[in-house]
Amino acid sequence: MSRNLRINKNNFIDQTTRISFKFNGQKLFGYKGDTLASALLANNIHLVGRSFKYHRPRGIMTCGSEEPNGIVQIGNDPSLTDPNVRATEIELYEGLDASSQNCWPSVNFDIGGINNFLSPLLPAGFYYKTFMWPASFWEKYEYFIRHSAGLGKAPTKSDPDIYDHQYSHCDVLVVGGGISGIISAKLSAEKGLDTILIDDKSFLGGSTIYQENECYKINSVNSNKWLSNEIESLKNYPNLLIKNRTSLAAFHGYNYLLARENLTDHLSINERKGKIRQRLWKIRAKKVIIASGSIERPLIFSNNDRPGIILSSSIKKYIDYYGVKTGENISLFTNNDSAYETAISLNKSGVKVNVIVDIRKNSESKIVKEVLDLGLKVLWESTVIETQGYKRIKSFEVMKLSDDGNNVVGNKSKYNADCLGISGGWTPMVHLFTQSGGKLKFRNDDNVFIPDQDKTPSNQISVGSCNGEFKLDEIVTKTIENLKSFLDLSKTCYDEMKINCPDEKSKRNIWLLPSDKPIGKTKPFLDFQNDSTAKDVKLALREGFKSIEHVKRYTTTGMGTDQGKLSNMHALGIIADTTGTNMGKLGTTTFRPPYTPLTFGAIVGRNVGEFFDHTRKTAIHNWHVKNNAEFENVGQWKRPWYFPKNGENMYQAVQRESKAARDSAGILDASTLGKIDIQGTDASEFLNRVYTNAWSKLEIGKCRYGLMLNEDGMVYDDGVTTRLGENHYIMTTTTGGAANVLSKLEDYLQTEWPELDVYLTTVTDQYSTISICGPNSKNIIAKIVPSLDLSDSNFPHMSFKNTKISNVNCRLMRISFTGEHSYEINIQSNYAEDLWIKCMEAGKEFNLTPYGTETMHLLRAEKGFIITGQDTDGTLTPSDLQMDWIIGKKKFDFIGKRSLYRSDTIREDRKQLVGLLTDDPKEVLEEGAQLVENINTKPVEMLGHVTSSYFSPNLNKSIALAVVKSGKKLKGKKLIVPMENKNINVTITDTVFYDKENKRLNA
Amino acid sequence: MLSFNPPIKEEKNYNDLKIVEIEPTIKINLRSNKREFSTKIGKILSILPPNEANTSSGNESYSLLWLSPDEWLIYSNNVNNTLDNQIELENNLFKEISKLNQGAVTNVSDHWVMINLKGSKIFDLLSKSCPFNFKDFKKKKGSVVQTVLNHVDVIMHNKDQNELNLFVRRSFSEDLWLWINDSARFL
Repeated sequence: MSRNLRINKNNFIDQTTRISFKFNGQKLFGYKGDTLASALLANNIHLVGRSFKYHRPRGIMTCGSEEPNGIVQIGNDPSLTDPNVRATEIELYEGLDASSQNCWPSVNFDIGGINNFLSPLLPAGFYYKTFMWPASFWEKYEYFIRHSAGLGKAPTKSDPDIYDHQYSHCDVLVVGGGISGIISAKLSAEKGLDTILIDDKSFLGGSTIYQENECYKINSVNSNKWLSNEIESLKNYPNLLIKNRTSLAAFHGYNYLLARENLTDHLSINERKGKIRQRLWKIRAKKVIIASGSIERPLIFSNNDRPGIILSSSIKKYIDYYGVKTGENISLFTNNDSAYETAISLNKSGVKVNVIVDIRKNSESKIVKEVLDLGLKVLWESTVIETQGYKRIKSFEVMKLSDDGNNVVGNKSKYNADCLGISGGWTPMVHLFTQSGGKLKFRNDDNVFIPDQDKTPSNQISVGSCNGEFKLDEIVTKTIENLKSFLDLSKTCYDEMKINCPDEKSKRNIWLLPSDKPIGKTKPFLDFQNDSTAKDVKLALREGFKSIEHVKRYTTTGMGTDQGKLSNMHALGIIADTTGTNMGKLGTTTFRPPYTPLTFGAIVGRNVGEFFDHTRKTAIHNWHVKNNAEFENVGQWKRPWYFPKNGENMYQAVQRESKAARDSAGILDASTLGKIDIQGTDASEFLNRVYTNAWSKLEIGKCRYGLMLNEDGMVYDDGVTTRLGENHYIMTTTTGGAANVLSKLEDYLQTEWPELDVYLTTVTDQYSTISICGPNSKNIIAKIVPSLDLSDSNFPHMSFKNTKISNVNCRLMRISFTGEHSYEINIQSNYAEDLWIKCMEAGKEFNLTPYGTETMHLLRAEKGFIITGQDTDGTLTPSDLQMDWIIGKKKFDFIGKRSLYRSDTIREDRKQLVGLLTDDPKEVLEEGAQLVENINTKPVEMLGHVTSSYFSPNLNKSIALAVVKSGKKLKGKKLIVPMENKNINVTITDTVFYDKENKRLNA
Repeated sequence: MLSFNPPIKEEKNYNDLKIVEIEPTIKINLRSNKREFSTKIGKILSILPPNEANTSSGNESYSLLWLSPDEWLIYSNNVNNTLDNQIELENNLFKEISKLNQGAVTNVSDHWVMINLKGSKIFDLLSKSCPFNFKDFKKKKGSVVQTVLNHVDVIMHNKDQNELNLFVRRSFSEDLWLWINDSARFL
């Protein structure tokens, strides 16, 4: 039965704005400013979910990002639901619909709860020990393990929300809006530095802002009021950007940080429409001030996981900030003074604290005296040994501790409670510091790891409780002192501060509290999410695990979505106690980003859908779209693949297109080829060094094909280069290789050959290339450029002419990649689409047929022309490609020359390019298929593979290119292509299948 | 006559942000490490190529952007240039620089698409996908940066307060235009 546990007093949430929400289908109410956790607690709901392994009932335990239990599924639409949301972090909004995770059929009655009774059979390492035999059963085990693994339900549809990214640069980034963060931000902004202050909460001020206690004063004002005024004063600094609801996810080297800003998660569904949900900030900061604070530790005793057992500081926040009582019969269990502040807050709000159990012998501090003066009962030198209650704590048992703290003595006493606050001291949040490369040191006095000042990366500092300063006066004075040197300040507005705060005079820490039962009979939980207990850690140690990293993985301690924020220190402490090692020497596990879980949406930002990858389009792209082209991705380019007509499939379209190109004329958009303008007095020498063949004697107006090698002698790129003038060339490269070729050549010019007077400029996008091939190509070009003499004598194959088409200068090349009489027109891209249309009109009477990359591949394969990257794979030399003719034997040097004469590159049994014909001319081989000689030998020797394969309508048979060991010598040899259901017999042939005499080039 | 067909044919206005492609614009790439080069450019264009990294020089007709110690980009400030103007300038420069072995002159008018962005939100927009720190850039009129915007190589020229010209390769321009418009709606 839900009750309202709200008290009608506080300044922090808006109790005039009522918000309705649902939890497990039940309609409930909260107020604007509530988190889901505070609203549930106000409705007296503690049981939120079930634990991962034993399905034990679990309730809200904290009020922040360290929450291990209160994780819920948001949204009732299974296709769009959001799993593993911490109830302590999500702000309440109208229409919020949350449900419990890891339970079926309901959180109140969960079938999986049977695991709790089987828990003695499920110790640490259960999976590793149990599923090893029989080995053949693993696949069956795996099926069940995979079905039971994971927390929450993933949505089945793509995320409809919008996310984006934002880069930001600042002089100083302050992480954390608590008192030390506020002081830091103000001092930085006051110095005139561009400052960003981020905090994951919707409000600034950390825990001080609701610390309304007369014991804490700054300049004679209550610390919360003083801080409130300071926060107000931040508005006066235009150079200070404050980002609330922004959580730092990662702190990388050189002060590069990622932060996630929640923009709409607190708004009602209707208010979110069309807005960005989360923004990932990519921040470069000259200096970083970490003020991430600290979190309270739990205490480890038997059955310390029951709903209603909450961190003491969280009980204080729920009552002071949200005005919510976490119970009506509250007791506290502590080893430090913090719980006494909670007791005072509860008392002020009219909630009586039943008893305070303190493991210390006593404490003389002011805050403890104030509690004693209130008449509250304190049980000194005592410990909770057991709790009762299944879905909510009902009672707990207390015994006296022995002097050494290892045992309990005397009689048990039992106390009823519906809420038990626990406080095991404080852990500085050093995650971000270590992510950035900082090293920690261990402070024995209070068992904390703190940043080692001598091993802190430059230009960053940790201040406040994340630096191990826990008392108010220490926090303020040390923060100011450290900032003076960090920000180079001589004086600050905080120099004359008077701070009053209680001094904690007594400390005692016991990592694993003793019980009256042997440990085997207890359940002292360390990791509340993964159900890892102190017993598991001790078992791991007994089984030989020593390193904290190994113990972590074996027991799964710290491997939940909370990343062990509450459990890691206790795991370390118990290992240290058990093995007699100093905790400082054990070290910590590695803190990896993200600090709190990030949505995939925030990581990818707007790089989804049409923005997932870039598309480069040629200037003629729109024409291709209008004419039903199917596109192929080549690099980032969208290239027409084929142009289907009347319902043709790709095969039919390619057969038609290639036949038309051979019979009459075809037109191809070749704009994507890389183009590099080369100028300079040493341009010819440069080409001599870059390509394998000779260039010095190439006449102006002539074109030449070149092969470019890597330093290892392997073919890297190829293309036709044209001599435009005495010292002027234009080089074409492959589409995919264009950028790399330009970088490589520029690198050579700048580092290897600085003496050469050569300048390179990319003009890939400047010129579009229209290629027209076929027996009627000359007739079509004659209509386009009627003034040009196209005779073979004036304009032979492998030459070029500058010309004008209408009003636009063009370069017309007579080059061919199809073996047909062909022309390529290079024209400024902004005129290309219109020229293409004019070519189509001029070619209408010749059945000029647009073709795509697939037909281009077929036509060139008929001629045995290679495609770099398809027929080559970075392991083939020109000789392997049977292209020895292109190596200039008399040349002094070129890139890769030396490697061509290494023993490995002159081996005769290297894989070499050959042609293949199938015995059945209708049988088309699969590209990538392997070639073997004898299928019956074991293992079968793989001789090579098919690189290109097509059915040629012009030859009326299947043709293929392949690379085969010693291929050059094997002409006429029969080989086998073994496929899944059959073996295909093939014969090795010459690589040129069509027009071996090159008669068509000049036809 | 072949018709001129630039890739972006629209002008867009958002919350204090106006974006439009400025075409036709003459753009010529210059490369040289010769001593006489600056003098020759000065004579032809009446502007000296800037030597300081990431700066520009200019006059009413042309802007001249520093791209590297031996590379500059000229573009015309006047949008009423005809194709003949373009050819004339290219030929003139080519004759004086390339032909005389003083460097390299290359017409890149259609290689780059120039998008003009105006308004107080332009740097908010650019910072959504550009890692460059615009703090000093936006204060200094004429500053130039070669960086990436949404992973695409771009050149930016700070024309005036809250106005810059952005150069992107033609083949990427429609893709980037889509991204700019998508991001601009959230400003």
